[in-house]
Amino acid sequence: MVRLDLLGMGSREVNRKLKEMLGSESEIDVVNPHSIHNFATALAGGATITVHGSTGFYTGGFLDGPTVIVKGNTGWYTGDNMSGGEIIVEMNTGSNAGPSMLGGTLLVRGNSGSRAAYGMKGGNFIVCGNVGRWLGQMTLGGRIIALGEVGQGVGESVYNGVIHVVDPGVEEKLGGNVRVIPIEDREKKEIEVIFKKYGIERGVDDFRSIVPKIYGRHQYVLFKPTHLKAVQP
Amino acid sequence: MTGKEDKQTKAKDVQRGVWSPETIANIKIAAETGKHRIRGCGTPRKFPNFDDLLVLPSQLTRMAIDTYREDCKTQTVLGARYAKKPLILETPIMISGMSYGAISKEAKIALAKATSIVGTSINNGEGGLLAEERANSYKQVVQILPSRIGFSLKSIQAADALEIITGIGAKPGLSGHLMGSKITKEIAAFRQLPEGIDLHSHPRHGDIFGADDLCLKVAELRDVTDNQIPIFIKIAAGRTWEDVKIAVKAGVDGIVVDGAEGGTGAAPVIAANNIGIPAMPALVQAVRSLEDMGVKDEVSLVISGGIKDGADVAKALALGADAVAIGTGAMVAMGCVVCLRCHEGRCAFGIGTQDPELRKNLDIDQAAQRVANYIQAMTYEAVVIAKAAGKTQLQSMEREDLRSLTLEACAMTGVPLIGSNYVFGERFGFC
Repeated sequence: MVRLDLLGMGSREVNRKLKEMLGSESEIDVVNPHSIHNFATALAGGATITVHGSTGFYTGGFLDGPTVIVKGNTGWYTGDNMSGGEIIVEMNTGSNAGPSMLGGTLLVRGNSGSRAAYGMKGGNFIVCGNVGRWLGQMTLGGRIIALGEVGQGVGESVYNGVIHVVDPGVEEKLGGNVRVIPIEDREKKEIEVIFKKYGIERGVDDFRSIVPKIYGRHQYVLFKPTHLKAVQP
Repeated sequence: MTGKEDKQTKAKDVQRGVWSPETIANIKIAAETGKHRIRGCGTPRKFPNFDDLLVLPSQLTRMAIDTYREDCKTQTVLGARYAKKPLILETPIMISGMSYGAISKEAKIALAKATSIVGTSINNGEGGLLAEERANSYKQVVQILPSRIGFSLKSIQAADALEIITGIGAKPGLSGHLMGSKITKEIAAFRQLPEGIDLHSHPRHGDIFGADDLCLKVAELRDVTDNQIPIFIKIAAGRTWEDVKIAVKAGVDGIVVDGAEGGTGAAPVIAANNIGIPAMPALVQAVRSLEDMGVKDEVSLVISGGIKDGADVAKALALGADAVAIGTGAMVAMGCVVCLRCHEGRCAFGIGTQDPELRKNLDIDQAAQRVANYIQAMTYEAVVIAKAAGKTQLQSMEREDLRSLTLEACAMTGVPLIGSNYVFGERFGFC
């Protein structure tokens, strides 16, 4: 294991050093991260990078291989465009975590802000705590697992992919063009494997799945007059 | 016809002001469907444009350059602000982003081949980078769109330049729209979409929520590319003065400004006709903005939207652009007749369609040569004008070479009205 002290370093230098280390090291301990933005950008390889503290925006952007463990929090856009590897955030993330992610796993043990997994294309996005509005908006693939409460507009205009939720009130929070269906046994088994891997001690029987409502054309309402509701029975 | 009828004006012959046949048709469609109308190609409106400017010839004040026997440099270098490998093109005419999906694979390949013939760049557009496009292109610009459909680290690695796109002139502020008729099995697989669904794409970048984030995103992309290739940002013409300043601060190498005349595969008619401003005044605003920041020679500026001939190129360069980008013009060169029906996916020329039978109507090599010829002819035209204005390189075209033909153009551009040195409005950099 090697130690990398980020004190006084900018992200370009940090990422350059990490790339150099990834060629020979399998475990890298990072200290003094001072919430640095653009940490661990476009890293490939199989090492584990453990950050003792918090990182800023765009943590693990374009990640493609390593495991990045952040002991603290991460800022917005964690795991943007990541295509492989793992990002494990032990505390919370800001908004827009996992935007357009293509593969790999982004695990948030705490809470995550709004628009998590926006435009996701593949991989796994797991949030153990609560998650804000518009979870999984316009995803095109992948699997989202939300163990806590979800915000309004969950799954808005999902094209492909699935969102597994336990929130009992999810029907009242659904975005447009999606529906809630029972979870399949196959999916339960897959989630159990994921939970076991990441030490998440929780059953899977109460999960349900949010999937695209229809195939054909999404429905949008741009004008929503409310006055007619008053006279409707 | 009797004498009495001669003297009467028939109701049907009366001009009905705003109640044009198109307006009436639009209202009837709205009345039947309760929805806004979608159409291809962008706006048919005629805006003030580069035709409203004229070029002053060299006479006694400066020497003409021999049109046929002396050189005029056309090579264009873009994105050299920070990138180690700027985009070096043989002509300042680029091919702008048109997606595989909006147009056929054959059309994409033809456009790519054309760039190799004349030495310019193609831009992949939304929905991913076709391997056949990359294999045939001279220089490949890869767009980073809000949807990120088909986009990955591999796309960046295949690029000669990146273009972060925040909007297009045809429908600024709106998302991409690919009608279900074009989402065939092949396109669906390419874009990770359900077959036949209407794609109302992502309107905002999921990882850029404001100017500060854009700074970080550009820094991230610098890291990913190791500063090797240029990073451009494409903005739809609107608040161009302010948008350009933000882009410069964010650290891009170049800015593409897309005027309201720009084309698209599908857009709400109301948006195409009413949102955004035309290319010519937007270009002036962009140049003013760069000059205000003292970075005009540092940040490359590309203008697009309705660019149709070499005169437009010469005038755009004179106003301060470093290059232009064409879309609709290139499609016309391949056979398009601007029928405004791209959204239907039934293009008989095999361009704006995914129908396997219709696609056969486009001969790739013939279309590639036609586009190359068109770009070559445009470059010739621009050279003819530049030499007549006394320039030995296209980039030497300057504002002083221009005069405004109309009061409107004069006020918009700050270029003096013909026959006078008067500027009705804010002057644009010379007395």
